[in-house]
This record gives sequence, C-alpha cells and structure tokens, in this order.
Amino acid sequence: MIRLARVLVSTVSTLALAAPALAQTALPQASDSYFVSAQEQLAALVAQQPNTGKARNVILFVGDGMSIPTITAARIFEGQERGVDGESNSLSFETLLPYVALSKTYTRDSQVADSAPTATAMTTGVKSLNGTIGVSQLAVLDDCSTLAASSVKSIFEIAEEAGLATGVVSTARITHATPAATYAHTVERDWENDMGLAKGEKSTGCTDIATQLVDWSFGDGFEVILGGGRSNFMTAETADPEYPEKTGARKDGHDLIGEWQAKYNDGAYVWNQEQFDAVDTATTKHLFGLFEGSHMQYEADRAKDAAGEPSLAEMTVKSIEMLSQNKDGFVLMVEAGRIDHAHHAGNAARALMDTVALSEAVKAAYDAVNPEETLIVVTADHSHVFSIAGYPVRGNPILGLAGDNADDGKPYTTLGYLNGPGAAVYEGEAPVAPEGSDADTALTIRADLTNVDTTDVDFLQQALIPMGSESHAGDDVAIFAQGPWAHLFHGVVEQNIIYHVMAKAIGLGGAK
Amino acid sequence: MDRRTFIASTIAGLAVPALVRPALAETPSLRFRDLYSRGMELAPEAAALDGSTISIAGYMAPPLKPEVGFFVLTKLPMATCPFCNDASDWPTDLVVAYAADPIDVVRFSTLIMVEGRFETGFKTDADTGFVSFLRLMDVTYSRA
Repeated sequence: MIRLARVLVSTVSTLALAAPALAQTALPQASDSYFVSAQEQLAALVAQQPNTGKARNVILFVGDGMSIPTITAARIFEGQERGVDGESNSLSFETLLPYVALSKTYTRDSQVADSAPTATAMTTGVKSLNGTIGVSQLAVLDDCSTLAASSVKSIFEIAEEAGLATGVVSTARITHATPAATYAHTVERDWENDMGLAKGEKSTGCTDIATQLVDWSFGDGFEVILGGGRSNFMTAETADPEYPEKTGARKDGHDLIGEWQAKYNDGAYVWNQEQFDAVDTATTKHLFGLFEGSHMQYEADRAKDAAGEPSLAEMTVKSIEMLSQNKDGFVLMVEAGRIDHAHHAGNAARALMDTVALSEAVKAAYDAVNPEETLIVVTADHSHVFSIAGYPVRGNPILGLAGDNADDGKPYTTLGYLNGPGAAVYEGEAPVAPEGSDADTALTIRADLTNVDTTDVDFLQQALIPMGSESHAGDDVAIFAQGPWAHLFHGVVEQNIIYHVMAKAIGLGGAK
Repeated sequence: MDRRTFIASTIAGLAVPALVRPALAETPSLRFRDLYSRGMELAPEAAALDGSTISIAGYMAPPLKPEVGFFVLTKLPMATCPFCNDASDWPTDLVVAYAADPIDVVRFSTLIMVEGRFETGFKTDADTGFVSFLRLMDVTYSRA
C-alpha cells in the first residue's frame, strides 16, 4: 500500500511538472473556434458523473421511425426555423440526455423490424416476431393457440403490481403497435378491434387490443392513457363526436369507453382540447383521452383540427402531473407515433415537424421532473430508408435542393428516400432532358424540380423504387439517456437491453 | 380533346400551383390545406370560389372499381381505395372529381393537376349513394 502511494505521488509530481512545458508549446489551432468549442465539450464530458442511485421514475420516449438521419435533419430544420445555424443546432434530447448508444433493431425473424416486436423488446426485454406484441419468440404469427405459452410481462404490468403509477401516451392510435406493447399480448398487431380480429383464421381465443386495454387488470390500471384511435372503442352504431358522419368500428356492441368509465369512477374521459385543459390533475385519478377516430393529427396539421388536440408536450406534462402523485414513482411511455407515418408517405416535412414536437416534449418532461431521480430514455423503434444527400452548402434549407444537378440535368433535394410514393413511374410519356442539356445527358422520367418549392409541407421527396408506402430500414437507431443508470447506455447494444436498464434503474422486473 | 382524356403532359417541369413559386395560370387555384379554416369548416377563400372553375393539385385515390365516372382526389397518395379501409381512416379533406365519361386511371402516386367547376355543400350521388362535401365537376386532369 505504501509503495503504491509513493508511485501515485510520483506520477502526480511528474504531471505537475510537465504541465507548464505543455502550455508553452501551444498548438497553432488552439485559438480556433472549433478547437475551443471542443475543449469546452471535453471539459463537460470529463465532469460527467454516473448516477448510480435508484430511479424513482422512468420515462421512455419513442420516436417511431426516428432514424438517425431523421434526427440530423430535424435538428437542422428546427434551427433554421428559429433563424439560427441549423447544422450546429441541437434538439433538446441531444443536450439534456448525454449518454448515447446504438440500438440493433433486428427481430427474431426479420432483418428489418416493424413496430410491434421492437416495442415489445423495449417493454418486456425479449426480441420476438414481426407483427406480434407482448409475446416471445415462442409465438406463431396469427395463431392464437400459441398465445398463452408465449405471453410475456411488460415493465408497465410489473410496475403496476409493485404499486407504481403508469401511463401511456401516443400521437398514433393507442391500440397501435408501440403503445399497445405496454399492455397487450397478441399474435397479430392488426387485431386492434373486434372486426380486425374476426378476419383472423386462427384468432379463436384471442381478444382484440382495444378490449385488452380496457380489461387490463394490473394494479389499479393505467393512471393515464392519451392518444388516438377512438373508433376502436366505439360501436359501429355510435356517431363520432368530432366527425358525426363517421361511426365507431366495433361490431360486437361493446362501448369500451363506457366500460372504462364504469370501471374507473374516479376517472375522466376526454376527447378534445377543451376537455383536456379542464382536467384537474389533483382530483382526477385516472385519465383516458382519445382525440381522434384514428391517429392524432400530424403536428403540422394540429392547429386546424376540428375539436382541437393537445400537443405531445402538453400530454406529457399532464401525464407527469398525474403520475407524480404516486410517492413510489411511475413508469411512462410517450410515443411520437407519426414520424413513422410521414416517412411512409414520403413526406419529410411532416416527419421533421413531428420530431421537433418530440424534442419539445422531452424538454417539457425534463423540466417537470427531478432529473436526478428520473431515468429518461429517448429512442426509435426502427429506421427508415431516408437519407441526407449531395453537398449542400452550410445554411442551405434542409428541405431544399442540394445544389448541383444530377446527371439527368435536373436538380435534386437534399432529403430523399430509397423507396416510396415519390418514385417516378413510367406511364407512357417520353423522358426528356431539360432545355439546354448536353447531348449525353441521362434521360429520366423523374420530375424536374427547378421551379418546384420543395420546402412546401406537402412536397413528397423523390424516391428510387416505387412503393405505395415507403419502407422501414434495418440500420441501427440511437438511444439517448439521462438519470439513474443512464450511463449503461453506451456502445452498440441489442434493443431489448432498454427494458433491462429501465428495470435495473427502478429496481423491478428481475433487475440484477 | 375529350374531357375524359388523361392529358399526358410532356412538360416534365410543369409542377403544381401548390408547390410552384410563380403563379401559373389565370384559373384560380386552391391548395388542399387551404380548403378548410378548421376541421370541416370551409375557408372563406374556398367558399368564395363555389361555382367557379378552379385547379387543384393532388393524387387520384385508387378507384373502387373500373369504369367509373368519378375519382377521389387526396392531398397525399393513398395506396389503397379510401373506402376499402375503416371509415375512421378516410382522410377528412377529400375532393370528389366527376368526369363526363369513364375516367382514365392514373397511378395513385402520380401528382396530377385537376381543373373543374368547384361545388361545395353536401350532396348525395344519385347513382352510387356516395355523399360528398367538396366536388369538382366536368374535370380535366393532367400529370403535374
């Protein structure tokens, strides 16, 4: 021990003596603004201390389909919208959540995942099959006889049994794959209501996802459920309150909203902004909000919604206000579900706006909790075939043209898709080269974007391969985290580790 | 030219008024997102064009069946017939376009510019029973 101490003292002395010598040979780049900025970042990294305390709360944010290029493009977009430098801008979770890992999203049976098994990986800790929710690799898609033996338990079910509060928030239908993975167990993600279930050949013995949510019997039930998907809880004979020309989707006569209200007589059911704003979180013990018949509006379109809808940030804060009343803590999932839908439509503008809405929700959550005792995780379930191309100059509008023309003499956008609705399809018209093109210009049928405002919110980015719906991608996605045990998120990890870190942080679910 | 004819535009650079910077034609144009001020409340600018010939850009949703004289125009491409999904999944901002003759179907992802006489207000189609709120009558359409 004495010898070790001497060695340490000796080392320290050497360092102390060496320091002035280093200072005398200042690097030529030492005053460069990038160098100075990086030195400041370095100091912040050195000062970072792992938090090994027990988490009181866990909040899992899922940006559905929020690939890494989506994050990059959204940070540029958000900065440019605010009139600041986009490229060096940061979304809230890029600065507030310092620990980052890459997540491998493949599933038990697929290189490229859908949202059902990826959400299951995050909420239960196991990889499973595409199209299935809340079941293990033992399940067989669409075969209910495999459900019982393959069902697994989510961290929300475990938390409820332990007396914690729970909540689930999504801008998608609340019966959609990602939010459903908090409570449902099904061998077919499309069985969102009884009519979907009735189409299944081997669906006997299964229960539709909407019914599973209302029947959910863990603890005292979800304290907060906020999202879209109202029609899956309403009968086909009932007119929708927001769109009177439409009705519910259920043919089994079950008014699931009424059943939820009967079950939670201390609760409030809301379906528009005014009712949402009027909820007294101090006296309301259970909150059920269904703001659209199907998915909630894209952030870009929310202001024009007929009945008004809360933002993702508003729903997040309201949830935290309610869940925080439980002294033992809470587990909350918040999904920005429509980033994915905009990408499927080949519409980058809406995908980026919904990503910015997620960023605002994370900031609002961070401000509403004690970050020291709350593990906050932000991730995506899978990627999309979306990329940032060309050599646009700094400050170029992220939704704009990349700069140079392609070999066909036509400009192209910085953002684009490998496949999707934006692909040109030959319909008998001859390919033409733009006026003034060289004789060897490549002839293509894609549209000439010279006079097109590609920054318009409705513009669809061009794609290579024609597909009605742009597809998911198999590349890794990012995990950002802060709070107790957030430092465990580093390196390249399997997606299902997210459950295990959350469980360890909060001390539940077989945590070691 | 027969009104039912799909005008295969050879002007690849001709884009839609919604997305093109300079105004293109004398025919007044509307954008999908400007049809309603909020929810299903018609915007004053749209209401003012009731009865006028207008142009609007959008996508032809896959028809319910071939040989029909109308199609549904949507803001964003719909890969499947909008009436083949649950009612809750139908877009709320549909425009129904009626042609004088059976339509020539255009791929759902091809942006088209449609010109026709704009009609507003609920109306039930005598032949199909289909109820529409916004219509374009006697349309012509071309690839944008």
